[in-house]
Amino acid sequence: MIEYDESVHGELQLDSDLGVKVIGVGGAGANVLDRMALEGSDVAELLALNTDVRALKNSVSSEKIQLGSTLLKGMGTGGDPALGKQAALEAVDGIREAVRGAGMVFVCVGLGGGTGSGAAPEVCRIAKEEGVFLVVFATLPFSFEGQRRMDQASDSLTAIGRYADAVITFDNDRMGELIVPKDGVTQAFAAADKIISQSIRATMNIVFRPGIIHIGMDDLLSAIKSKDSRCLFGYGVSKGDNRSHEAVEQAMKCPLLDRGKLLSEAKAVLVQVSGGDNMTLFEVQMVMEEVSKHVGSETQILFGTGTDKRLGSALSVTIISSVAGPGATMVKGREEPADEPAPVSLGMPQAEVVMPIAAASASVKLQEPKPEVLAEVPPVMEVPELPAGEDSELDDLEDMTGPIGEGLVDESVEEDETLVFEPLDDEEEEVPAYSPVFEAEEEDEVSDDRNPIARAVEDSQVADTGSIAPIQPLDLGLAPVSGDSSSEAGHVEAVTEASQKITLTRVVGSGNTGRIKTRSPGDGEGRGPVMPPTKPPVISGEGLEEDIPDDVRQQQELLQLEPVVSKGRFAKTDPTIVDGEDLDVPTFLRKNR
Amino acid sequence: MASSNIYVGLEIGTSKVCLVVGEVRSDGAIKILGVGQHPSAGVRKGEVVDSETVQTCLHDALSRAEERSEVEINTVFLAVTGSHIESLNNRGTIRVADEQMEITPEDLEEVKKIARDVPIPKENGYVHSIIQHYYVDGQEKVLNPLGMVGQKLEADYHIIHGTKTRIQNAIKCVREVPLEVEDIVFAPVAAAQVVLNREAKNEGALLLDIGGGTTDYICFVDGAVVASGCVAIGGDHITNDIALVLKIPLSRAEKLKVAHGSASLKNIAHGEIPIEGESGKTVEQELLNQIMNARATELLSVIAEPLRNQGILDKLGKGIFLTGGSSLMKGIGEVTSDIFGVPVQESGSASMSGPSALFENPQYATPVGLIRYAQLLDEQRPKKGKLSKLGQRFEKILGGKR
Repeated sequence: MIEYDESVHGELQLDSDLGVKVIGVGGAGANVLDRMALEGSDVAELLALNTDVRALKNSVSSEKIQLGSTLLKGMGTGGDPALGKQAALEAVDGIREAVRGAGMVFVCVGLGGGTGSGAAPEVCRIAKEEGVFLVVFATLPFSFEGQRRMDQASDSLTAIGRYADAVITFDNDRMGELIVPKDGVTQAFAAADKIISQSIRATMNIVFRPGIIHIGMDDLLSAIKSKDSRCLFGYGVSKGDNRSHEAVEQAMKCPLLDRGKLLSEAKAVLVQVSGGDNMTLFEVQMVMEEVSKHVGSETQILFGTGTDKRLGSALSVTIISSVAGPGATMVKGREEPADEPAPVSLGMPQAEVVMPIAAASASVKLQEPKPEVLAEVPPVMEVPELPAGEDSELDDLEDMTGPIGEGLVDESVEEDETLVFEPLDDEEEEVPAYSPVFEAEEEDEVSDDRNPIARAVEDSQVADTGSIAPIQPLDLGLAPVSGDSSSEAGHVEAVTEASQKITLTRVVGSGNTGRIKTRSPGDGEGRGPVMPPTKPPVISGEGLEEDIPDDVRQQQELLQLEPVVSKGRFAKTDPTIVDGEDLDVPTFLRKNR
Repeated sequence: MASSNIYVGLEIGTSKVCLVVGEVRSDGAIKILGVGQHPSAGVRKGEVVDSETVQTCLHDALSRAEERSEVEINTVFLAVTGSHIESLNNRGTIRVADEQMEITPEDLEEVKKIARDVPIPKENGYVHSIIQHYYVDGQEKVLNPLGMVGQKLEADYHIIHGTKTRIQNAIKCVREVPLEVEDIVFAPVAAAQVVLNREAKNEGALLLDIGGGTTDYICFVDGAVVASGCVAIGGDHITNDIALVLKIPLSRAEKLKVAHGSASLKNIAHGEIPIEGESGKTVEQELLNQIMNARATELLSVIAEPLRNQGILDKLGKGIFLTGGSSLMKGIGEVTSDIFGVPVQESGSASMSGPSALFENPQYATPVGLIRYAQLLDEQRPKKGKLSKLGQRFEKILGGKR
């Protein structure tokens, strides 16, 4: 039996300048603190911030600060974030005092309400100003709480994203999935709080507890840094003969991991194994073997292990990672360009994103003094005035930006930074003639022209593709463009092009048009939801037939050919699709076509 | 335990419903008591799509089987297939408790449980978990680790899983007849019990069961299952292809396929074949073969590619065994050996008494295999408590009926 020596690693060694503070803002935040206190918090100091003095009184936190004692007189904010913000500003000195000297601050907040949404960004700002390492755990409201609260939550999240080093969001809708529906409401919320408190504890342990194989802040950040990502967190602890397996199993069962299925998409996975003094190398090895079964071969595994006397005979496994996609969000704030729009998640409308795009187009205007391009700017500027779409304004935006937006749309399709403004170059030089967009030489020329705002926009675009669920009707976007008569030919082409691109974005992965293969080589992995193509109505509806370039027209005819092929007796069965081909269609006909 | 047991294998295939009643003798030989079959309807690509129609066919086949075997049939072993069935290999590892020195049956159960714990889709359930090899403290390919001394026990399992609801539908259809389903078996797992002998399994063999609606395969290397699966393409597709290309009815396409078709493009006798029932219409032999060859080539490639990538094809010492109704098609063996690059064996019948002529026909490999599977299950029974209970129930049901 190979065992570790009894080592000194067990005790948490905290330098005085590395104090940890957990701040709960608002009612939901306080609940998490209570849960942490209940489970025996480590060395972290718990600080509850609330406007409602009664709720504050019930909290078991060691430190409490009442927000807006003169403004609100001990009452709540009534769901108004503006009041929450004012209240926080009133208590700014107290908060500053509390976070001063802490090495690391965790802020837990339930977004959507008044205190949480309003005060949390202020708390984050203050904490940041004090130079602490800031990690925010935020819960997003249930969708049944209404659009207004969703909006408040997303606004607040955007603001928080500017200050925090990392934001881990938990989607309440998703948290609901981890509870059996018939379970009580109390249990449901308790389970949600528990997951958050476990996350905080695990993060804290990982970073502060010296391990035999140590995991530092840098490892943690690289595990969770992808933009607009969904946080994957799993924690399991078990005792007994087969504790290593059971602990992994438990960790995998955590709803955020979805039985480990989501791990296969992650780029980096952080795994921390800790146990009592009797933890064996073999157990660690087994844990890692189990985990590696669930991750892809390309995935970077950040591994750490350490002994912790307090675990006794138990062994704990913590898995932290993130995948791109809708759902809960995790942002890494600090490394982004300043004022980078926060991640969009859950398909919520994000008013913020509108502005940078408009700003980007303005900067484009400066770079491209040609009249054609200028003429195209107005439709873009109209964007904010349009009625907000049901799902995401971004969809509309992509469509409406027309030729300029094409660069952005391309970007979202290709996820390749060098391509950003290349299509614009195209516009400038040969507007009347349709020309292939992707040419390697031009890419190189333009890659330097990008400015920080544009980069921010493309980032947000890239981030958004993952979360945009439904495709928007394209005629919405076309209206302003076709109304602009200054350069019709150029517009028509570009719009057709752009609308096709948008279509392609959604069709990627289904592989039933030849165009996908030839036009977007970088899209093999099929990110984002797959949606049926919807472009024909756009083109015919606007009466633009005469102006459609030849290759586009051919494309259309080809598409119409598809359903003609008969499947005979298998017409009504489940299709047998292999490599994108419907094998029910006679091979002879497919190969000889 | 009685000296002999009677088992019934039921396969609801795309082209026929087939019940085989077999008696397993105390010496291990299987005697086929009777067979009942009926052309099936309401089955597409190996799965029940019209339960009522299938039940009518099943009733017919059942009464014939009961008549011939003079056995009243209550429970059956049911073969399942369909494109939803997938397989994977996984290794489970446990640490044997310190105080206990020898590996116990509980450890084996535990390691099996761990090996089975792989992420399969939520809607899927396990059909089989087949042990491949055990490893004790790194010692490879231990066949029976029971009683061995070791600290670390590993087990490689081949796990076959499929969509629960789709399997349940097949079971439900049979239960409504009413027949009790004793167990479900993935079709090629059953067929392999008959078609592949121990030698073939040890030296490496691939069983291809080309049926009407599906092509099932299972691959053995070193006596263990290394790959299995189902592609929802079979003889029906070939008929359908012929009908669509030549624009003739399916029934005539089927006749054309059986009487004149070949999957091979070699040695084509040039000439025109008259299409029965369509006056004056003829088809060139070459065209017919091309249609069939295109389909057969594609189907076999779909199966061959992943196996080749896993390096399994190089380990097939005994080659490929073809079975299933469509393996009777001319030229299919030649195309198969070309695509896989592995020789194709003529499949012979295993040791069996009774009206054995019937069972040299590859169409019956699966239902007969079900009986062999039941027999193997019976042999393992004393080891497993849960199964022996089933066995008692089974004997109670069947024992008194003879």
